[in-house]
Amino acid sequence: MLMQTNRHTENSRDGLSGPVWFSLILLVSWLVLPLIPLAIWSVSRSWYFPDIIPSAFSLRAWNYVFSNTSDVLPALGVTTLIALCATLLSVIIGLPAGRALGLYQFRGKALVELLILAPTIVPGIAVALGLHVVFLSLGLAGSYLGVLIVHLIPTLPYMVLVMAGVFANYNPDTEAQARSLGASAIQTFFYVTLPAILPGLLIGSLFTFLVSWSQYILTLLIGGGRVVTLPLLLFNFASAGRNDITGAISMIYILPGVVLLLLGARHLTGRSRAVESLRQI
Amino acid sequence: MYLISKICSELTSIWRTRHELLTRITPKVRCFKIKEPENMSRYPSFKNSIWRRLSFLVVIFTLVYFPLSAQATEKVGYENWDEVVATAKGGTVNWFMWGGADNINQYVTDYIGKELQKRHDISLNRIGINDTAEAVNIVLGEKQAGIDDNGSVDLIWINGGNFRTMKQGNLLFCGYHGLLPNNQFVNWQDPSIANDFGLSVDECEVPWNRAQFAFAYDSARTQSPPKSIPQLIGWVKENPGAFTYPAATDFNGSVFIRHVFYHAAGGPEALLGDFDQDKFDAVAPKAWAILNEMKPYLWREGTTYPNAIASLAQLFANREVALYFDYDPAIFGINVENGIFPETTRSYGLDDGTIGNTNYVAIPYNSPNKAAAMVAANFILSAAAQYEKAKPDVWGAAPAIDVGRLTKEEKSRFTELPRHPAVIDPAALSQKSLPELHPDWISAIEKGWQENVAK
Amino acid sequence: MLERWKIPLLLSPALLLIAGLFLGGLFLGLIGSLGYMPLLGREELNLDAYRNILFSTGFYQSFLLTFYISLMSTIIASALAIGAALILRRHFIGRSVINFLFQLNLTVPHLVGAVGILYLFSQSGFFARLAFEFRLISGPSDFPAMIYDPLAIGIILQYVWKEVPFIGMILLANMQTFGHDYEAVSRTLGANRWQSFRFVLLPLLSPGLLAAALIVFAFTFGAYEIPALLGQSYPAALPVLAYQSFTDVDLNARPEALAMAMIIALLSAVMIFGYARLARRYMRS
Repeated sequence: MLMQTNRHTENSRDGLSGPVWFSLILLVSWLVLPLIPLAIWSVSRSWYFPDIIPSAFSLRAWNYVFSNTSDVLPALGVTTLIALCATLLSVIIGLPAGRALGLYQFRGKALVELLILAPTIVPGIAVALGLHVVFLSLGLAGSYLGVLIVHLIPTLPYMVLVMAGVFANYNPDTEAQARSLGASAIQTFFYVTLPAILPGLLIGSLFTFLVSWSQYILTLLIGGGRVVTLPLLLFNFASAGRNDITGAISMIYILPGVVLLLLGARHLTGRSRAVESLRQI
Repeated sequence: MYLISKICSELTSIWRTRHELLTRITPKVRCFKIKEPENMSRYPSFKNSIWRRLSFLVVIFTLVYFPLSAQATEKVGYENWDEVVATAKGGTVNWFMWGGADNINQYVTDYIGKELQKRHDISLNRIGINDTAEAVNIVLGEKQAGIDDNGSVDLIWINGGNFRTMKQGNLLFCGYHGLLPNNQFVNWQDPSIANDFGLSVDECEVPWNRAQFAFAYDSARTQSPPKSIPQLIGWVKENPGAFTYPAATDFNGSVFIRHVFYHAAGGPEALLGDFDQDKFDAVAPKAWAILNEMKPYLWREGTTYPNAIASLAQLFANREVALYFDYDPAIFGINVENGIFPETTRSYGLDDGTIGNTNYVAIPYNSPNKAAAMVAANFILSAAAQYEKAKPDVWGAAPAIDVGRLTKEEKSRFTELPRHPAVIDPAALSQKSLPELHPDWISAIEKGWQENVAK
Repeated sequence: MLERWKIPLLLSPALLLIAGLFLGGLFLGLIGSLGYMPLLGREELNLDAYRNILFSTGFYQSFLLTFYISLMSTIIASALAIGAALILRRHFIGRSVINFLFQLNLTVPHLVGAVGILYLFSQSGFFARLAFEFRLISGPSDFPAMIYDPLAIGIILQYVWKEVPFIGMILLANMQTFGHDYEAVSRTLGANRWQSFRFVLLPLLSPGLLAAALIVFAFTFGAYEIPALLGQSYPAALPVLAYQSFTDVDLNARPEALAMAMIIALLSAVMIFGYARLARRYMRS
């Protein structure tokens, strides 16, 4: 995911001019800026107009967030588990499909691609409103399983598209070579296939995880309030005007994404092929 | 030959991966289920069949899948309270309620939840929602899908229009008041308790709190706030931009509009009873004229209205507007304690009276845990639970029970409760109390406001 | 023989799932919008829901507002992303830190960004307080309205905030694949910086840019939580209106909610169709 290009370019010689640096700093600080008031609010007791800094600080919001009443920690667990399961299922189901799309030409391929592309573009709310009644009668509404399934609508296509991109640059002959040298199917997969597709797989998984992680409306509709994920709690307190608690939940909510990005960045640095799969999204 | 072996290996490798990954996620799915025990008991056939779940995932709609709602229906008729308590033991209550106030959440989870667990072995599951209508909608959807005995909602904090929807749609479990021992503390002779927004309760819900609309202002900023609706109209014009009210879609915005409506009608008397189109048509234009006259002097010249009462609270906290109001005056004290409102916040009622209501808890008709829900409803009526709730540092909500029916000691505990300086004395407030309208009136007023004032 | 079955076997789990959930959901939404509610005893199809919403001014206002929000967000985010990508592809000291910060909010959920924007830009938000501190305004009401406002500035700011890194990353990945060679050639042939950007780089980038922009447009057109949190009460964005109708306690509003969902889906379908055509043209050339 990190752009650490290995390709040498002739532009590398010139540094950045002053105005360019200025606009860059402006852009990046604009990207980080909205997170700052959230962090400050989480330790504020009272911070109202016209105070530039809070008039009173307190850890009350954090106490509440970590108390048993708030459900924030269970919600963190539920959000993480749903996102992990959605990612795993997307890998299991999406990897073969990505292989088929990336490696082979076949009749109706364009149609298949279109079908897989469609859910990334058609908003989830348009689909979930229709699914709601069926999920109700199947007993899936209000259950973790139901929410997990509905999360697959946005996550699976991402995985398939990323994996199709990865397999498009993949040479399956190496597998045959490994097999002819006596490697078992499992060995071939783990020692030949997996290392080759791993960077793309990690990117796909990161995206899939984040797509599920930030779902609000699908969880609300299908979970019916009983599947409590972090965005639901966040929305609850944000719309009730409890800025301190909203700030504290926000901090918890962005943490795993940042950690994943840091981990992912270490793994992916310098592998430009992985980056190319981004183009598929 | 080579081709076939290659394809076979391909397939096996994929199958192995899948198998590998499936086994890897199995423990995850399992710990999932343990986290949600009531779900498990509700779908007993799935208790031990992780594999079936997973296979279901793969084929979703193609698999034959329907043993979910197969469960014995709960008995509705109970002989006596002991039977209810015995049935309730070990049960779970999914209580859907507005979840935006941490102190209320804490009271419900930490106090009521713990007490129910301790006294009756009932686990209370508080489910925070943004709007009560969401819970009503869940029950409606379940009824539509034919889920008549295995619904997901056991208890709802409710009143007014939502109660009407549920009662008229036969979505409520009714007729159990006689069973509840603590029902004796409720004064059902009081019409403001026996009627929820003009609609007879008919043993379909249990009162929880009483509330009466009041205004709040910052005494350090505003010296003489307007004490009646006519005064308010003049005050708004003298202080442009310092007042606004939430849109009629908000519960509190709607009740403010009703105060103006009462003023336009010369009092609520003419509007009581069932909805009457002629009476409405006679009063409504006057009310819209008053509100439209105020409009250019409102916050942002009335081009938009806050979506929710919480937005008005933020505007007041940030000194964007000078007046705040709420159907539950306890919120003024809570907001001061939470640092949202200034310490100098004070509150008052109107000289021409303010509207009061009772809010309730109700059990949906398809709740699978009716006995446990009844035990919970009975417990919240107890002197202990109502007293805890009345403490200003817990919630400060006015009791729904008739304190006069309690023992002497219990009664004195209530009367000795301190009052938050920001909260008006409920006794003084209730001297000038106005009745609520029938929900049909309220719908008509809300709709009329959207069409004649909001646009 | 097996070769014939290999591709279908590889594809079938994903296709079954997507067809079942996605097409199934759309189909159910469609018949629901046509008034098919067997459990309420309604089995005949009609166009009442569409008629109701297409004859109400509220729907058009919501539609136009949503379209405007999506269009503005996509255009502004795309323009900023091109600029950012042009800078970030160069080598400079501190690039990895800047890169990390640039990618940071790809991982931040929309909802968090929305709340942050709310605290920054509301009339009593951080910037308003700064303006007050420096005597630029005398009170919150003097600060321009950017939250709950008719121009939906806060919503657009949030989308731009979130989508600039997304489009930027896709453009960077694209730029990496075709390197600097074409531009270098154009520069040696006498093109100035602008010309080489306009006539060489931009055409090369446009397929990726278009794809990203379409995704952003469709996403912002169907997003619920941002306009629900930052938008004004009337008119509401289309997804908010659809959700409100869907959760209305009057069940008769449900076909209307589903009809709005179908209109959102239809617009996205047009987007996909347009994308497919563009992609095909790009493949040919």
